[in-house]
Amino acid sequence: MVNGDLIWGVLGLPLVGAILLGLLGPTLQKSIGKRGVGAISTVVVFVAFILGLLINSQLVGATQKAWVVTGPDWIAIMGLRIPFESVIDPLSMTMVLIVTGIGALIHLYSTGYMAEERDYSRFFAYLNLFIVAMLVLVLGNSLPLLFIGWEGVGLCSYLLIGFWYQDRANVKAANKAFIVNRIGDWSLMMGMFLIAVLMVQNASKFPDTRIFSFDNVIPVLGEILKGNPGMATAIALLLFGGAAGKSAQFPLYVWLPDAMAGPTPVSALIHAATMVTSGVVLLNRFNVVFQYSPTASAIVCVVGAFTALFAALIAFGQTDIKKVLAYSTVSQLGFMFIGVGAGGYWTGMFHVTTHAFFKALLFLGSGAVIHAMAHDQDMRNYGQLRKYLPITFATMAIGWISIIAIIPGLGGAGSKEEVIGYALANNHAQINGVPLGQIAGWTALGVAFLTAMYMTRMFFLTFLGNKERWRDIATSHSHETDDHHHALDNLHQPHEVPFSMSIPLVVLALLSVAGGYLMMQGNTFEHWIQTNQIEVLGELKHEVPNLLAYSLIAAWAGLAVAGATYIKGLPASEGFDLAKWSPFRKAAGNQFGFDAAVDTLFNEGGDGLAVALNEGDHLVVDGAVNGSASGAAILGSFVGRIQTGFIRLYALFMLIGGVGIVGWFIYVLNSGGIK
Amino acid sequence: MIPYLSLLVWLPFVGGLALMAMPDRSPKIPKMAAMAISGLTLLLSMVVVAQVKAETFHFQLIESVDWIKPLGIKYILGIDGISYWMVLLTTLLSFVAVTFGHSINDRTKMFMGFLLLLESAMLGAFLSLDLILFFTFFELTLLPMFFLVNIWGGEGRKRAAAKFLIYTFGGSIFMLIGMVALAVQHREAAGFLSFSILDIQASVASGQFWTNALQAQTWGFWAFAIALLIKTPAFPFHSWIPDTYSESPIVAPILSSVMVKLGTYGFLRFVLPLYPEATQQFAPAILALATIGILYGAVVATVQTDARKMVAYSSLSHMGFILLGIFSLTHAGMVGSGIQMFAHGISTALMLMTLGFLLLRKNTTDFAAFGGLKAKVPVMSFIFLVGMLGSVGLPGTNGFVGEFMALFGAFEAGIAQAYGINVGFAVLSGIGVIIGAVYLLGMYRKLFLGPISAENDTMADLHPRELGMAGFMAVLVLVGGLMPTLFFKPLEASTQATRMMATNPVGQRPVWTDATHEISMKAGEVGALLKDGQVIAPGRLHLLPSRPLGSVATTAGGQE
Repeated sequence: MVNGDLIWGVLGLPLVGAILLGLLGPTLQKSIGKRGVGAISTVVVFVAFILGLLINSQLVGATQKAWVVTGPDWIAIMGLRIPFESVIDPLSMTMVLIVTGIGALIHLYSTGYMAEERDYSRFFAYLNLFIVAMLVLVLGNSLPLLFIGWEGVGLCSYLLIGFWYQDRANVKAANKAFIVNRIGDWSLMMGMFLIAVLMVQNASKFPDTRIFSFDNVIPVLGEILKGNPGMATAIALLLFGGAAGKSAQFPLYVWLPDAMAGPTPVSALIHAATMVTSGVVLLNRFNVVFQYSPTASAIVCVVGAFTALFAALIAFGQTDIKKVLAYSTVSQLGFMFIGVGAGGYWTGMFHVTTHAFFKALLFLGSGAVIHAMAHDQDMRNYGQLRKYLPITFATMAIGWISIIAIIPGLGGAGSKEEVIGYALANNHAQINGVPLGQIAGWTALGVAFLTAMYMTRMFFLTFLGNKERWRDIATSHSHETDDHHHALDNLHQPHEVPFSMSIPLVVLALLSVAGGYLMMQGNTFEHWIQTNQIEVLGELKHEVPNLLAYSLIAAWAGLAVAGATYIKGLPASEGFDLAKWSPFRKAAGNQFGFDAAVDTLFNEGGDGLAVALNEGDHLVVDGAVNGSASGAAILGSFVGRIQTGFIRLYALFMLIGGVGIVGWFIYVLNSGGIK
Repeated sequence: MIPYLSLLVWLPFVGGLALMAMPDRSPKIPKMAAMAISGLTLLLSMVVVAQVKAETFHFQLIESVDWIKPLGIKYILGIDGISYWMVLLTTLLSFVAVTFGHSINDRTKMFMGFLLLLESAMLGAFLSLDLILFFTFFELTLLPMFFLVNIWGGEGRKRAAAKFLIYTFGGSIFMLIGMVALAVQHREAAGFLSFSILDIQASVASGQFWTNALQAQTWGFWAFAIALLIKTPAFPFHSWIPDTYSESPIVAPILSSVMVKLGTYGFLRFVLPLYPEATQQFAPAILALATIGILYGAVVATVQTDARKMVAYSSLSHMGFILLGIFSLTHAGMVGSGIQMFAHGISTALMLMTLGFLLLRKNTTDFAAFGGLKAKVPVMSFIFLVGMLGSVGLPGTNGFVGEFMALFGAFEAGIAQAYGINVGFAVLSGIGVIIGAVYLLGMYRKLFLGPISAENDTMADLHPRELGMAGFMAVLVLVGGLMPTLFFKPLEASTQATRMMATNPVGQRPVWTDATHEISMKAGEVGALLKDGQVIAPGRLHLLPSRPLGSVATTAGGQE
């Protein structure tokens, strides 16, 4: 048995935290101090995690793997009912554990990272609210409920990216994130409508009017789409449009790098571990649609592969440590979509899980570095930090090994290999016989090589090398004052982070090393996630001869090439003098011009259109009435002088104009004029 | 029996006139008196709606007396599920406006008097069941608004007021002609002259009314439609609204956001029941105007430099969604529009109220004067954020539910190709939601985020009274988003009946005056129309396409 009602506790606790801190935050901060506020915020998420574990352990033991817990109605009209209901199945519970587990660790980390922040309670209120929204997203048993969470996490992301709202750049980044996401949301909404219309047409196939609920939709959709690949493709692409927005796939990835303007714990939680993987979760939930549509699956693979490659290349031109990690996230999300597109739905979720561990770790580690380096994020100013930050160095090293996958089975190695294995061994994702899924698989193998290179570059530039490069910066004046946010300069001494920040690092490092490996044992994770899948495709192959060897060669080659370059420190061709940069790196640094082109097109083009319409509005539409209006203005100024008399004048006007017409009609009528 | 509706309509009217007739004393007295009167009206409206039964579509609390007997003009008031929310919106926002008007110290008693007259006229219009009575109240709303803008407005107030008056008055002339034509037609069909929509609708439902007069139906439909589209406003009849919003005194746009609902309300109350064939025929045309308005309003809103003008264009965009839902002629769409009429009033009023707070502090709503205010006025910033998110249509706020259902209705009708509606309307209108985020988030950014200027550094946050008004509305935004079913309950039977009046074949339409007709919400044929306990027209809640599913896919893929 599964005690589903516990799920309201999981959802309710962070909600209580968010409301409490949102309404009483500043007061609490004064009375119980920042530590108290941070503790409330962290504890509610941690207890939610414990409850989640409890439900999960019951679910593991239960024979029935999908439960629906129903609450009160949200929207209920005749013929359409959307109750508040949660779905409890391996997919949702996996995400619940990731969200609350990693969420709790990042809350703890934030208590240290944000310690100097004046708006401390506001930060934690947002963070708790994010946890609620993310849980609604993964637990909601219908697309509209999922959509509450979907846009809710978008809102929290918006609020947190723009957390330091006095800086214009942050606010712009926040707006960009919300708006680009809305493009995806539009697609998702249309997909939702299309599914609902199909459900309405097949209302006899399910018992009630919950036309959006997954327990009705998923099986019925499977029946409907059988033999209707065109419809399957339409729905699949609309859903993927939504996923591409949230999960930063090309061309909608443009918001994610800018989103790094938010505080680093936010980047770790929202923009690496949880929110950005929502798209993969959505596609897993609706995998039946993709099973019926090889075309859409192929498009998912191609977009995923292109995004993985494109983002990896861009990472080579980045000097900001967080930007490197951001592009690496975009790239890794591409891997997940390759797995999903290839039909290995569980591999997408597997990579979501391992990636959540190591990417959260890498981001938190980078936060520790940034924290230690006076908030300077430029890797060209780092070097030899291993001497000052031993814990950060050790844990980041584990994150680095995990992502570049140089040791079989550890970190992300297992999940990445499964993704590539599914892509190479099957031909589900194809259009007109062109094996796009396999092409995506080979691309992924190449990207694995690139990943090893740019991640090694980041790691070496930060922790290793031949000198402490910030010693070259001239002494700044602000240093003498006791301002915490002084600029980085040659007198700076980096300090290791406090316990509140190092504990999450160590826990995540352990999870990164062992998590993926343990979940591989006896195919535990595969059997766990796949329980909710309708087997249209049947058991897919995923053993590719020598794949392990290819992977290892790619990873070690990348490590070797980059290691040889950066072991000596920062090459002159990547220094502060941009003129010495190679054309490739320069182009990569500018996202190959893509972001700028989009910006020009939509900002300037859009503005141009809007300005033109606005002027047209005043000239054309307005002009038609302006003549009469200016005439009336004269009348108005005239009557303005006899203000009190105007009511009578208007009454007369009404009488003649309005009632007069009636009278005329009546007159004509009585004389039998109009027929 | 107590004439509740008459009391409701005439209480603010008499109160307003009394205020104006008062001798000039300190401005305090009219302020307190106006607050008392509008507060009493608000309480009375709650008493009224408490008596309205949700399960019927028939008008309730009807009061009917002859007014101008030879012309068949009656004084009939009545309330149903559609006017239910409009009455509450009117009394609530009027109370808010009067409270807000505390800052007006110039000719206060006249100002307050006009506010109350406006409230009375709007209530009268929402409750009238006689065409001429409706027209009288409809016109009567213009006068107080004209004076509010003309006397207490900004620099361009004279021009704005004149434009407002000419636009709306010009439009309503057409409607008056349409009304007279209806009365005349009623004499043709039923033998006596009547302006009562109860009489006319009974005749329309029976099929006698428009037999041999289909051409006249077209003319009548457009005569009403033009007047109502101007009021709504819909593209291309919208150009009065930016000036009216930006030149008004602070409280007037709040009431404007109620007044514009007279447009969409008029469609539901008069056009759909009385012009059923024309409604079906011209639904695509109205949807086209709505879609253009949604996109056009949104795009133009993005480049406004004045916050109130931006809200005006955003109204054009958002009212388009209401039209979209109504003329989808689906159950979901119409219920969604009914709820959105209330929700949009609340969230727009909340934004305008916050802009009013800024206006009081800085005497302008130009973006150039602001930025970074969040640092100084966090509470105001939060309140505005809630109203803004409601307007953005974020799920969980009241703005989402109505827009979502209106869009779904239009999508459903489009896929089914009912009444010649194309799915493109819903798909394109959905893009309006994206652009909505662009300008609304932009507005929040330009006012509250970024660096703060030195001159705004001393700005005061909300006073307790301001917080009380705005906070209550913010709570309504969230309640409407999380518990919308509360709001659907009184509404559903009425919108469903209205829909059947417009779309069912002759002889199977519900009749307001026939007590045996009822909308069943129970088992079996859900939403069926029952006569003598018998199902005469199963009401299909969802539209089904007339062609196989496979071809739908090509439409969705955009190859239509």
